[in-house]
Amino acid sequence: MAEHIDVAVIGAGPAGLAAAIAARERGAEKVLIIERAEQLGGLLPQCIHNGFGLLYFEQDMTGPEYEKAFIEKARSLGVEALLETMVIDLDAERGITAVSSRHGYMKLKPGAVVLAMGCRERSRGAAGIPGTRPAGVLTAGTCQRFVNIEGYMPGSRYVIVGSGDIGMIMARRLTLEGAKVEAVVEIMPWPGGLIRNEVQCLHDFGIPLLLEHAVTFVHGEERVEGVTVSKVDAERRPVPGSERFFPCDCLLLSVGLIPENELSRKAGVELDPVTGGPVVDQNRQTSVPGIFAGGNVVQVHDLVDWVSWEAEAAGRSAAAYADKGRLKVASGVKVVPGKNIKYVVPQLISGKDDVTLHMRVERPGLKATVKVGDVLWKRYRSVRPSEMVILEVKGDALREAGVKGELVVDCEIRGGD
Amino acid sequence: MAPRETVICIGCPLGCRVTVLRDRKGNVAGFKGAECKQGQKYVLEELKNPVRTLTATVRTGDESCPLLPVRTSRPVPKALMKPIMRETARVKAAPPVKAGDVILKNVLKTKADLVATADWPGAGGEG
Repeated sequence: MAEHIDVAVIGAGPAGLAAAIAARERGAEKVLIIERAEQLGGLLPQCIHNGFGLLYFEQDMTGPEYEKAFIEKARSLGVEALLETMVIDLDAERGITAVSSRHGYMKLKPGAVVLAMGCRERSRGAAGIPGTRPAGVLTAGTCQRFVNIEGYMPGSRYVIVGSGDIGMIMARRLTLEGAKVEAVVEIMPWPGGLIRNEVQCLHDFGIPLLLEHAVTFVHGEERVEGVTVSKVDAERRPVPGSERFFPCDCLLLSVGLIPENELSRKAGVELDPVTGGPVVDQNRQTSVPGIFAGGNVVQVHDLVDWVSWEAEAAGRSAAAYADKGRLKVASGVKVVPGKNIKYVVPQLISGKDDVTLHMRVERPGLKATVKVGDVLWKRYRSVRPSEMVILEVKGDALREAGVKGELVVDCEIRGGD
Repeated sequence: MAPRETVICIGCPLGCRVTVLRDRKGNVAGFKGAECKQGQKYVLEELKNPVRTLTATVRTGDESCPLLPVRTSRPVPKALMKPIMRETARVKAAPPVKAGDVILKNVLKTKADLVATADWPGAGGEG
């Protein structure tokens, strides 16, 4: 590993592949992906369901099909990959320390780094579910790997906590494989995933979705024997007397995803406490020059298509940085989440160039207006926390409005929820 | 009384609950709750002939990679999803397979083929 690397990409999921491809296309000669698993593709190989690529390829693809298109393109462009290699350290000067059983201990100093580590599922501890600690409690993604890759059914009777997309997709998958899914339990008053998943994964199979309910106890010594489910009040506290027992031998958790940023922290990259990902400018540069980030490591997306697009921006910027040793800073204006906006990415923009703003609302509502300072407003018939709001803002409009310092984004709701 | 014909539209995040109104002869007389024309079209199709793309896996017999992901080449009637699953349990894929290869032709006479969605051996490995 003595030779010079222009752009190193950490992670070979959809973000890493897209970033590497974009870096090559933008002129970076030597682009290297470092991946801890034994194959490229990240989580896509286990996402055997369709619904991928509707925006990016204008085609309804499955996870493996989407992944294959990117892998083939990366290979044809000569992107290199180190598999079964774990990055254990990253410093503020872009120094990477990695280990693998084949190559041993490696130190790399690429011209630029793209963080593409994706995200991790929240665990039982993070969700704070009381009860015993028997076998049979696992995350929806782990179950997906067992069922779709390894060929095991971890149980025959399931309760799923959380109505995130992976949880709903697993409810359908397990039902089709002959298991019984007793219920999907959601603590919020609205579902956590996309409407199409609620309809096609739950309604199609008559699986009850219990909104404003929580699992308040896990029963069983060696193995899960059932769970207690309670209704929750407006403060999300269990309502005494509302307890119901659901027998099951498996409890799946689909309670949210957390961007995986241990390495970012080591490099001293500033993180946004709300997204859990790096604070980025519109070039997807982090607070550490030469370190870029894209995809679910920055913000948890609903659709892989946007993961790819965001990571491409990071890859292009990384190639430009590697070429010149610097990149024009695009962080003159801070984008601030205002009324009913949970977060906006990128957090920093130039205030002069076209930019795509990704945001999530805090509460759902009908007849919503999203206002980007005095620059732009757009009406939506409906907004939901589970569906990202994406707005294109023109550089001309930003310049005309004379945006300086801060740009506040608000979402006003006129139609109730 | 005719069964209540209400469908949740999945066309956009709005998720309209659309009820179809019919006259005495059973012809569609109107819609209640649909915010747009595309939604009405979707609802009619969903009532007449609901179809879904089915994705599943088939066995390979290879211990290191026991399953091959598959999909139907076109949407199939919703009611046939479980019967098709029983067919997938019966087939075994023979290597090598390329994504797009037909694993089972015209499954249950739906005119849909069961096709592989990944290469086997896989595309993402060392190489």
